Amino acid sequence: MIGSIYGLIAMGYSLIYSASGLLSFTQGELLMFGAFLGLTFYKYANLPFVISIALTIAIMFMVGVFIESFIIRKLVKAKANLIFIVLATIALSIVLKNFAMLVWGSNVFQFPQIFKTGFVKIGDVNVDPTSIMAIVVAFIAMLILHFFMNKTRFGTSMRAAAQNPLAAKTMAINVSRTTYVTWGLASALAGIAGFLIGPVYGVHLEMGTMIGLKGFAAAVIGGYGNMYGAIIGSFIIGIVETFTAAYISSIYKDVISFLVLIAFLILKPRGIFNSKVYDEE
Amino acid sequence: MLQKKMKYIIVAALLLALPLVFIGNSYFLLLLCTGMIYVIAVSGLDLLFGYSGQISLGHAGFFAIGAYTSAILSIKLGIPVVFSMLFAAGLATMFAVLIALPAARLVHHFLALITISFGEIVYLFVAHADPLTNGFSGIGFIPSPSLGFLVFDTNMKYYYFLLVIVAVLLLFKNRIIRSRTGRAIIAVRENIYASDGIGINVKNYKILSFALSAFYTGLAGALYAHLIGFISPESFTLNQSIIFLTMLLLGGMGNFYGPIIGALVLTLGTEYLQVLGNYQMLVYGSLLLLIVVFIPSGLINVVNLRDLKKILHKRTTVKENDANA
Repeated sequence: MIGSIYGLIAMGYSLIYSASGLLSFTQGELLMFGAFLGLTFYKYANLPFVISIALTIAIMFMVGVFIESFIIRKLVKAKANLIFIVLATIALSIVLKNFAMLVWGSNVFQFPQIFKTGFVKIGDVNVDPTSIMAIVVAFIAMLILHFFMNKTRFGTSMRAAAQNPLAAKTMAINVSRTTYVTWGLASALAGIAGFLIGPVYGVHLEMGTMIGLKGFAAAVIGGYGNMYGAIIGSFIIGIVETFTAAYISSIYKDVISFLVLIAFLILKPRGIFNSKVYDEE
Repeated sequence: MLQKKMKYIIVAALLLALPLVFIGNSYFLLLLCTGMIYVIAVSGLDLLFGYSGQISLGHAGFFAIGAYTSAILSIKLGIPVVFSMLFAAGLATMFAVLIALPAARLVHHFLALITISFGEIVYLFVAHADPLTNGFSGIGFIPSPSLGFLVFDTNMKYYYFLLVIVAVLLLFKNRIIRSRTGRAIIAVRENIYASDGIGINVKNYKILSFALSAFYTGLAGALYAHLIGFISPESFTLNQSIIFLTMLLLGGMGNFYGPIIGALVLTLGTEYLQVLGNYQMLVYGSLLLLIVVFIPSGLINVVNLRDLKKILHKRTTVKENDANA
């Protein structure tokens, strides 16, 4: 369950990285934002589930496009050092978090139950239906993204623009459009993740920070910039975390995840699927 | 030359006399002391980010190691505070080397990630290792430092104690930057391949700047613990690391005065922004975003007098040209 959420976040990171070689630290806060949006539509506006998730996705997509065209593009045009772009996304995440606090306050909100029944029996185990739904929806989102990237014309041009912007431009691909669509997609993925995790863990301001970092870790473990690696990395992190919580201590599950991340950065920084990370190559 | 010396003497005299103005205002002195501690911490970050070009989002971790080590050593083992502080800074340095060994090879966003992870691990450890750190309740009654018969137990005395330390550390920083080592560190920032080509050991200098940086920030943490007398995990979150970075960027990096200006302006500024309450971090975040997008070189370069003169001069010449045409 948690692995599939990390997967959605990690895919967002990988999308942005492969499209523009940039890295965004805002994914976690975007997730929080998406969760709050979903809460607003579903609980307070009383919209049906499908419509509220669609609205959340649409708005989050716009947010991503907005971030790219008003902040990131400016910095890239000014030939800013990569570190500054990273810093800008961090600053943005603080702004997002505190903006959410202004709008929704700092309480923990309960997402209303989506299903009437409490538990579903699979074999001998009782499973929360919302968790199953989260996994299913996450899986569908991943599949749709996979087909979008590989089978459609626009997806192909996005991949082309990511590989070589100059060559893509000569092939009459609108690179600026593919870039902001990428950011929009990444943001929408975070929004979906937020919407899915809301009913399980509750909606609050801090929910995104840790998940954002873990998603990042997952993307690194899978090989940064590789979508499929990101998914595998996410399941590794999810499993490590769950087992730590079950067999060692739930307090240290975050510590263990970070240690796994650091170990990967030290021993196999290219991740499971090799990607470029070194400064001096 | 004489004029320059006079300038320094005047500045020194002003700094020495400053507390006398606020003799009844112990709170403002406390604020000044905190500001000076941040000057040390941010100077440390400057050595790393400003001069060697490596980002760190885990400096709150070094700050925490400094604060907790010194507090625990002085309370539980009764080690004189001055030594416990030095030991604490040393321990922070050791951790920095451990982190830098693998981290020095990574590109900046992975560096950002590994330092964030480091900061989070330190925070989680401090918050949950109850027998040692007393968890979220924090450690109280941390003794004041003393040198022989001198006990720095009031804010006024602590101010002078800090003044000496800040002066020594800043001068030392300046010395390093202008030495062969400093030039090598800057060369690594400017161009890794070129500096590697002329025989600079890139990795060692990156690790060295990490170590120096952590020493400063660790010492600042220790000084903080003994000034406030109480520490708890909340002071050492990721937010703290971001505040350090905001201070550095606001003041201007790779600059002697940048960290001083940034740290003092933000410390005093936040105090007056207390009315904003919960919106403080919103202000910090927006400020950081604005700085990064609009003035990435920091305040120091915006208000640089020489540049201002140049700009004014340019304007007049342009006007003259217009008149001639």
